Amino acid sequence: MPDILLPHHELTAEATLGPLHLHASLTLSAPWTVIFGPSGSGKSSLLLAACGLIPEAKVDFLGFSTDGSHTQLEKLATHRRALGYAPQHAALFPHLSAEDNIRFPSQVCESPSKNSDMIKNVLALFNLGGLADRMPARLSGGERRRVALARAFTVPNCRLMLLDEPFTGLDRKLRDDLLPAMQAWLAVRKIPVLSVTHDVDEALLLGADVIRIEDGRVLAQGPAAEVLATERERLLQTLS
Amino acid sequence: MDFAALGLTLRLAMLTTLCLLVLATPLAAFIARRDALVARLLQATVALPLVLPPTVLGFYLLVTLGPATLFGRALIHLLGHPLAFTFTGLVVGSIVFSLPFAVLPLLLGFQSVDPVLTGTAAVLGASPLTVFHRITLPLARTSFLTAAVLTFAHTVGEFGVVLMIGGDIPGITRTLSISIFDQVQELNYAAANRTSLLLIAGSFLALLALYARRSSRRNSDA
Repeated sequence: MPDILLPHHELTAEATLGPLHLHASLTLSAPWTVIFGPSGSGKSSLLLAACGLIPEAKVDFLGFSTDGSHTQLEKLATHRRALGYAPQHAALFPHLSAEDNIRFPSQVCESPSKNSDMIKNVLALFNLGGLADRMPARLSGGERRRVALARAFTVPNCRLMLLDEPFTGLDRKLRDDLLPAMQAWLAVRKIPVLSVTHDVDEALLLGADVIRIEDGRVLAQGPAAEVLATERERLLQTLS
Repeated sequence: MDFAALGLTLRLAMLTTLCLLVLATPLAAFIARRDALVARLLQATVALPLVLPPTVLGFYLLVTLGPATLFGRALIHLLGHPLAFTFTGLVVGSIVFSLPFAVLPLLLGFQSVDPVLTGTAAVLGASPLTVFHRITLPLARTSFLTAAVLTFAHTVGEFGVVLMIGGDIPGITRTLSISIFDQVQELNYAAANRTSLLLIAGSFLALLALYARRSSRRNSDA
């Protein structure tokens, strides 16, 4: 078992979004936390609330530093929250090539760097070297997804990575290769992740802290094997 | 053919288009970004010249720019002469009259940019101004062409406002559309016909260029 981890972020969001009443409080302390739940349960909305992209939501979003001090992130403008973000449908900028998409965060930040090594490393990490010059319209779904992930990974001084269904559209082999590489990259830089999935397999594979939500409310939080015990059983039964 | 009127019309249309693109861009961006009542009020005001008789617009411009109002008196004091019946007065009138033809295409262009893209750009660290010039502007770039062509063509074609605040002074405020009116009054149908045909051909070619470009873009995107 890992040591008791101190929380790095706390997120509380309240909003009524169509049929959904979102009312959830999350404490993030693991290096990788997964929000697990069925479609329409408010998973993506929680990420958007953290980003400050749901103006009508009441949000408290605290970021804790290692020295124990905290920042009220909900009071900062979206672009100053130091978040990496890969949205659900990739949302690549259609007028920029794959590489220019990936360069975007390092170009628009307040102190733009010309650190081309970082871009090269990220291109290699996501195995995108051969696709750098392609426009998004000429990429497959899985390629777009990888470019969106790579773009999130180049946010300078990133404090939290938000990944919405990061592996949807990637084949399993690719996902299984990519996951440990991503985890290693993030561990070196001490960037925690909050991701969203409805895939049991993925949540178990990550060995992450799992927050199960349904109808906008948190039902359980804990290690994947515990929170997803029934799903795990069912999965094992189907396999055998 | 009244070549003085032709030159004047082109100069007026070009100046109006340039001024309006500069004015309409922030205006359309403001209206596109907000759902508030202020934005709706502004949008309705901008669209007003579409439905108002040009004479109404011309009348109020004439009054506003003239010595009857404080603004008009200040303007006259500043310039040393009234703005009405001058080329500058015409430009001001055309800007007001053609405002919707610049603002509405830009508004449509800005609103058609997926908010997920602008939101994502903001999360990735782009300030609102950076999002506007790196994402919104390039994705809405064709609407600038639409706005420019429509404003230009509409300014070339305006009549009522130009007559009201410009009068009909040869070489100063007589545009092509007014020259046609004069030619008809003089029963010079052949000259009126030539000028009219020129305007029809010019307007048709401008619209054709616009739509041809749009459909070729659609084909290349598919």
